[in-house]
Amino acid sequence: MLKKRIIPKFLIRDRRLVKGLRFHENFREAGNPVSTAKVYDSYGVDELLFVDIDATPGKRLVDGSIIERVSEEVFMPFTVGGGIRNLRQIADLLRSGADKVSINTAAIENPGFIREAASRFGNQCIVVSIDYQRDADGKQRVVSHCGTESTPRAPLEWALRMQDAHAGEIMLCSIDRDGTMDGYDLDLIAEAAQRLDVPLIASSGAGTLQHCREAFAAGADAITISSMFLFTDHSPIKVRSYLATNGVSVRSQKGSHS
Amino acid sequence: MIALIDYGMGNLRSLINAFDYLGHEALITCDPAAIEDAQRVVLPGVGAFGNAMAAIRARNLEKVLDRQANEHRKPILGICLGMQLFAKSSSEHGMHEGLGWIDAEVRRLEVNPPLKIPHVGWNDLQFPEDDWLFDGIRPTEANFYFVHSFHMVCNNPADLLATTDYGGPITAVVRARNLVAAQFHPEKSQDNGLQLIENWVNWTPPC
Repeated sequence: MLKKRIIPKFLIRDRRLVKGLRFHENFREAGNPVSTAKVYDSYGVDELLFVDIDATPGKRLVDGSIIERVSEEVFMPFTVGGGIRNLRQIADLLRSGADKVSINTAAIENPGFIREAASRFGNQCIVVSIDYQRDADGKQRVVSHCGTESTPRAPLEWALRMQDAHAGEIMLCSIDRDGTMDGYDLDLIAEAAQRLDVPLIASSGAGTLQHCREAFAAGADAITISSMFLFTDHSPIKVRSYLATNGVSVRSQKGSHS
Repeated sequence: MIALIDYGMGNLRSLINAFDYLGHEALITCDPAAIEDAQRVVLPGVGAFGNAMAAIRARNLEKVLDRQANEHRKPILGICLGMQLFAKSSSEHGMHEGLGWIDAEVRRLEVNPPLKIPHVGWNDLQFPEDDWLFDGIRPTEANFYFVHSFHMVCNNPADLLATTDYGGPITAVVRARNLVAAQFHPEKSQDNGLQLIENWVNWTPPC
């Protein structure tokens, strides 16, 4: 049986891990990406996600040397995002050791890019990441450029459109919940899980073991966890054992020794 | 030396890192002379079947690979799309001819909700417990990392060595003569994957 995935999400800024609140406030230092990846590998997490949060606003690509170092240290799948705008950059990141790339702003600016990327590298390589936020009139809207530019699009409509463009997976990130540890956006997860035919990664909001269980119960295929791992005493081992006890199909491994 | 075939499609760095970690000399190459010199060959691959065959042909690798498989009978390991290329044909975005080493076809996975496509993540393997390829891998913890939308359907049941369940059994490992191929990524499957690679490196196919 396919396991539900637990994916630690690492934000990279200036080659270091950081974690903030709602994308822009209160950034805290969270360590070295390579050594942290190794620790999480030993916990037996299911995948890793790295996002260079300064890449798009700084108009550059995520630092490939970090990716190369990670792939020397851990033998598990990982996804890389941040500033990806063309096929050559995807090829470079895959060559550096990434298995999948996460694309956000470039998909909004040029939806045809996702179709091109999927046809060149295979759908399974392309994760479309959707950041969204409630605007002044209370409607949820997709936001680009690492949360700095709003668009008129509704997140679910956009997710369906990206699925049609052959995205392999959709990741939904609620900016309002990012770093709050108040729980995932269950309503949208439930609706998206119902309507999408591709795997759904729920992101933003995990703070308790119960939150993780709720996201899977709502239909997520995978969850990302950031603040909860960095700033509480909940380890991936604890999350997995709690989920297994509560009937969620997760891996039984104790972790990797590599 | 182990030749990791570079035809422009695949996560070669992770693969060579895995061989390095295990202490086996490997080389990323598309040079026919290096491939001829190698004791073993790994055919990786990520992407679409038609593009992959076109890339192999564009680099004049088809004959060289065929010679390693069928004349020299070297141990060859196919991974993910590399595995699918062992088949006779694939229906991914039109019909495409494969390397034809295994009597099989590659078709799109067909699943019902709530199962999604691609099949992404860790799934359990059903395998013969006394088989050398799975030495040291516990059946209760035998999960491996899959990421694919198409799968190989074998015409000869004897070629099918292990399956995984995704809306029914799907091909996870095939083996015939000197050929072994996995749909999952052993180089991305932590300890289980490294163990499987080590077992393959220690294997000498029957002549």
